[in-house]
Amino acid sequence: MKKLLNILGMLLFFGCEPFVTEFKDSSDVVMYEASTKSNATYDNGNIKVVTWNIRFGIARFPFFGDSCGNDVILDDDTIEKNMAAIADSLDAIDADIVLLQEMDVSSKRTGYMDQVQYLLDHTNLNYGCYASMWKSDFIPSDGIGRINAGNAILSKYELTDVERIQLRLRTDQDVLTQYFYLRRNIVKSKIPALTQGAKDFYAVDIHATAFATDDTKQQHIDKYVETLGEIHSSGDYFVTGGDLNSVPPGSVTDFCLNDMCDGDDYHTNQAEEFHKEGSYFENFDGEPDILLPLYEAYDSAIDSDDANLPIHLTHGPSTSYKMNEIKYDRKLDYLFTNGIWENTSSKTHQAAWELSDHLPVSAVLNVVGE
Amino acid sequence: MKNFIFYFLIASLVFGETKKWDAHSAYLLPKKRWEIGLFQPFRYGYSESIEYSVHPLWFFIMPNFILKRSQNDIAGFSSAGQYKIIYPTPFLNMIAKAGIMGIIAPDFQMPPMLGIAASWLMSKNMAGMDITLNSGLDLGVAFGDLDSRSTIDLPLVYHRLGVYYNTWGMHMGVDVQKNISEKIGVLADIDLKALPGLKGNYSLEHKLLLSWYKSENFRVLTGYKFVIGEYPYGPDMRLLPYIPMLETWVPMIEFQWARKKQ
Repeated sequence: MKKLLNILGMLLFFGCEPFVTEFKDSSDVVMYEASTKSNATYDNGNIKVVTWNIRFGIARFPFFGDSCGNDVILDDDTIEKNMAAIADSLDAIDADIVLLQEMDVSSKRTGYMDQVQYLLDHTNLNYGCYASMWKSDFIPSDGIGRINAGNAILSKYELTDVERIQLRLRTDQDVLTQYFYLRRNIVKSKIPALTQGAKDFYAVDIHATAFATDDTKQQHIDKYVETLGEIHSSGDYFVTGGDLNSVPPGSVTDFCLNDMCDGDDYHTNQAEEFHKEGSYFENFDGEPDILLPLYEAYDSAIDSDDANLPIHLTHGPSTSYKMNEIKYDRKLDYLFTNGIWENTSSKTHQAAWELSDHLPVSAVLNVVGE
Repeated sequence: MKNFIFYFLIASLVFGETKKWDAHSAYLLPKKRWEIGLFQPFRYGYSESIEYSVHPLWFFIMPNFILKRSQNDIAGFSSAGQYKIIYPTPFLNMIAKAGIMGIIAPDFQMPPMLGIAASWLMSKNMAGMDITLNSGLDLGVAFGDLDSRSTIDLPLVYHRLGVYYNTWGMHMGVDVQKNISEKIGVLADIDLKALPGLKGNYSLEHKLLLSWYKSENFRVLTGYKFVIGEYPYGPDMRLLPYIPMLETWVPMIEFQWARKKQ
């Protein structure tokens, strides 16, 4: 009988992994290393950083979730080709630190490719960490199936003291939807090789909510500001960025008509939803200026005065280039530091528009410019 | 209603292979006796040498039929051949859709498919236990393009539907059944499903059930099923039934009824 109970106990332990993974406020992340490391020794020079939401390597595939498409699962060959092109772009940018969002590491929709490992093995980057924002054995909707997607920091230098910081869940969803929905996060890592004198050096990556219509976005930005403030007040350096899913102050805030798909109806009394989720940036008081605290407290790679210029737009719904010839029409992706960016080196890499619905933004930290 | 049907069908995968009243042994039902469970197929003793079964609920969306025919004893083992045919296409196309309960991506249209399985069963009472050995071959025929991305990568489901993607597979297993009192019985089994060449090429299923016989015509079963196997994403294991939102295993409970046709 004792043996039977022991066996049952083992089955319960090993056979009852959560169906949907939930996270504590602060938790560990998954660490990675390239299978073959390139030589990278920090020479006390400037540090190049890039942020990029790579849309899990499906490029401008008409995915059902964030464009006017109806498709869910891309074929393996095309994903491999897209990831190779993303790896080539990252090598061309040649950043020391890469902040990535929407990485798949074991998802049905992308053929279970571990995209973090792929990029480490196909670029000059050596170390990585990954924090899941959506991890479930099976999503019983739209054929999504098994999913593990999240944020990653890749670097030429070793990452330590890595932390996944949970962001508040949306409150505008029913319990069942929320259970199977994303659990967004901030991922923070120390990079000892880049320590500047007595100041530790951190990289912080975020992907804030896109579709919430309640105050979740405000909560996410507040938590982000708090996280950065803690590093800053400790006297340490950080470079940070990500997909904030917020427009800069002074931007247009209503993209519903740009993003409207065939058969949709917005801005009319008959419309089921007056505004399209994710396309409207005035859901609550103060949302248009939600990024002001970041601009005011830290140095932005793209100044707020320039942020709405066409050359700095970073996002366009994936199929809009086919429908309305819009490759990119808003800025959602940012880089900040509590140091100083090189004045002329910041760039939005719009030539990469075909590789994702977001564009990479890079900047160079002027280490001696303080 | 569709959701209810889906949950019921998935749950029946857990319960469907219970062997009580010797469902999966080489022994046939007595002539004119029928048995049915909440999750178990309807079985009927057609004659002294032929038994057939269908899952009534599955039948309308996944037509299926199983025939068991007794054979000559071999080395003291009672023997039987079991032949199964199933047409899963209507059900799979029901769940290939957008939105909630879209289990297969709407990108895919499932072609007409036919599953055929042939098994050999051998049963013998040894040391007070009924022991059954079984093994067999599975064939899956798709009459059209079956996209390899349309698999359902879940325990129990993946390896049952895998035969259509792999065109063939093998299965084998052992069942041990013992009555520990007049009213209480125990059943333990292990079944291996192999799909050579497929990404995610095996699963091992183990079940332990405790049965309480209220009468000759009614019983209640409870227990668990454990599945371990290789999937397209790697190895995985799961204790079933598992309730996702509660994140816990719960014991399976099955009610079964039987009667003899007059």
